Amino acid sequence: MGTATLDGKAIALDEAYRHAAKILNRAAFPLIAGLGADIAGARAAVLLAERLKGVFDHLASRETLADIDVKRSFAMFTTTANEARIRSDCVVLIGPGLTRAWPGMLERLALDQPPRRGAQAQQPRKVIWVGPEGDEASAVPGAKAIPASAQELSGVLAAWRARFGGRPVALDPEKVSLIDGLVETLRAARFGVFVWSASTLDPLAIEMMQGLVIDLNATTRFTGVHIGARSGASGVTQAAGWMTGFPPRTGFGRGYPEHDPWRFEASRLVDSGEADAALWISAFDGEKPAWSRADLPLVTLAPAHAAASQGLFIEVGQPGVTHDSVLMSQETGGMTLRKASAPTDAPSVAQTIDSIMAEVSEGAWR
Amino acid sequence: MKPFTFALRQEPPQRVDLSPLTPDRLAGKSIAQIEEIEIGVTRISTKVGDLFKISEGDLKNVRFEGGSTRFDLVGAKLLPGFAIHVEGDVGAQCGRLAKGGTITVAGSAGPHAASGNLGADIEIKGDAGDFLAGPLAGELAGMAGGRIIVRGKAGERAGDRLRRGILIIEGDAGEDFGARVIAGTIFCLGEARGRIGYLNKRGSIVLARGGCFGSTYVDCGAHELNFARLFARRLRNHSAQAAEVLSRRLRRYGGDTAVYGKGEILTPD
Repeated sequence: MGTATLDGKAIALDEAYRHAAKILNRAAFPLIAGLGADIAGARAAVLLAERLKGVFDHLASRETLADIDVKRSFAMFTTTANEARIRSDCVVLIGPGLTRAWPGMLERLALDQPPRRGAQAQQPRKVIWVGPEGDEASAVPGAKAIPASAQELSGVLAAWRARFGGRPVALDPEKVSLIDGLVETLRAARFGVFVWSASTLDPLAIEMMQGLVIDLNATTRFTGVHIGARSGASGVTQAAGWMTGFPPRTGFGRGYPEHDPWRFEASRLVDSGEADAALWISAFDGEKPAWSRADLPLVTLAPAHAAASQGLFIEVGQPGVTHDSVLMSQETGGMTLRKASAPTDAPSVAQTIDSIMAEVSEGAWR
Repeated sequence: MKPFTFALRQEPPQRVDLSPLTPDRLAGKSIAQIEEIEIGVTRISTKVGDLFKISEGDLKNVRFEGGSTRFDLVGAKLLPGFAIHVEGDVGAQCGRLAKGGTITVAGSAGPHAASGNLGADIEIKGDAGDFLAGPLAGELAGMAGGRIIVRGKAGERAGDRLRRGILIIEGDAGEDFGARVIAGTIFCLGEARGRIGYLNKRGSIVLARGGCFGSTYVDCGAHELNFARLFARRLRNHSAQAAEVLSRRLRRYGGDTAVYGKGEILTPD
């Protein structure tokens, strides 16, 4: 079984669950944050937030919401990594650190091999990497690297889209002809794919890129593969979506779910004093909260190596490592079961929250 | 006749939703009934009577004596002919979906002020937060009518997806000023930082001090624009500075050519 500590001193698990319930029950507006958990953990956390009339947020929701904002207020073409692997004859990777955001990216997209389906099958695959970090692009043989800083990416995409539409840009003729050449490559693709991560691309740049995808789709097929954020963000967002209709940054203060990316942002809630207790969940790697207040009554669920010296700490296992877990998979774009790679008897987030929830009764505030 | 007044007794213990406190929604209610209106947004109850001392008056003019950054949705869905004045700060979404009337805020406003405004005349004497006049998450368009004037600074993404109407920022504007503007006119009379007018479809962006707008805005030369002069005359009583900038000789940059290129940035030549 796992361990629990209160301000660094070991306490019994039963007592820890009761104490956690007391901290959350006493609060006027409790926050369930971090939310680094598998699907079962996310389900339990959202149910707890609902019962407490609290609020939930994920530690990487800024990235997740960047993609969702484009999807819900503009449009978004996406496909799975496997579809990109077998069909794409033109792949445009956008931004630095993509292989860090998704370590298996190159292996899964098999960019060094030709596509296998469609009229483009066995034709060489064109790979363009805009704004790679260092010599990141050299990992793909034959990839064309276009240097650009992270700040320049949005301007680069804008210029491409302007030239694709045949509209003028305020650049010298040499640059314009380079852009025109690149735009021709995109136009000539039979199945093109943009690959990006919202950790380096802001919502406006993503909207620009997706606008270019729409423009391209008038004459050819173009789509995108987005790289999900860390700590199970994509799966948590799916679970939150089917349970409440909203992604993270959703509150139950009035008894029904309300979504507001500003009002329910975890760090703002804590630093403004609006949230007066928090349950911090980070089961993958024990990432610490980003807020600055230290006096907040806090319950931490994290692996043993990330034991919190302040407040109540309850050890949980790592999803897919110490226990079997259902997670959203970047590789397939769907839910997959990950067998435990090093099983232990540490409880899962879902088991721990269920034990805490057993001590919380609905409407029993104060 | 003196205005219908809500005097703040204490700083609110939580964010409060003040959308029920507009003239049309207060009409026909007694003071006791108004004091019972629930404005809290968490599981602890906060009622109007807990926060405010009410003095009856002309319901066409509602006045808040004292404000707070926790006052959300002040003047939401306000109707033409009514006025709200806040002697202090307001929180998020001040003037949200207001159909008309006037809202004046003596202090500063939080994010999403004038979001979805359809016709109200809103003045913020202090600063405004992010997404001034912008749409809420998932909405397709921002402010669609009316006018908002901010005498101080504005946060990031001011004028996002502006659909129609006039937005004037007399101080500095934060990052991504005038992004995704669909139509309408926006002014920044101070410094505008970062990308300006990114994804602007056919809106007019007036910058008193220039700024950086990337390669998708194309110089169209300096012009004496008759319409700008006419417009300036209309603005004179509301923002003398904006009127002054608009009546000068203006250099026009057409863009954002990444979208239609029918929008423009105007700066004094």
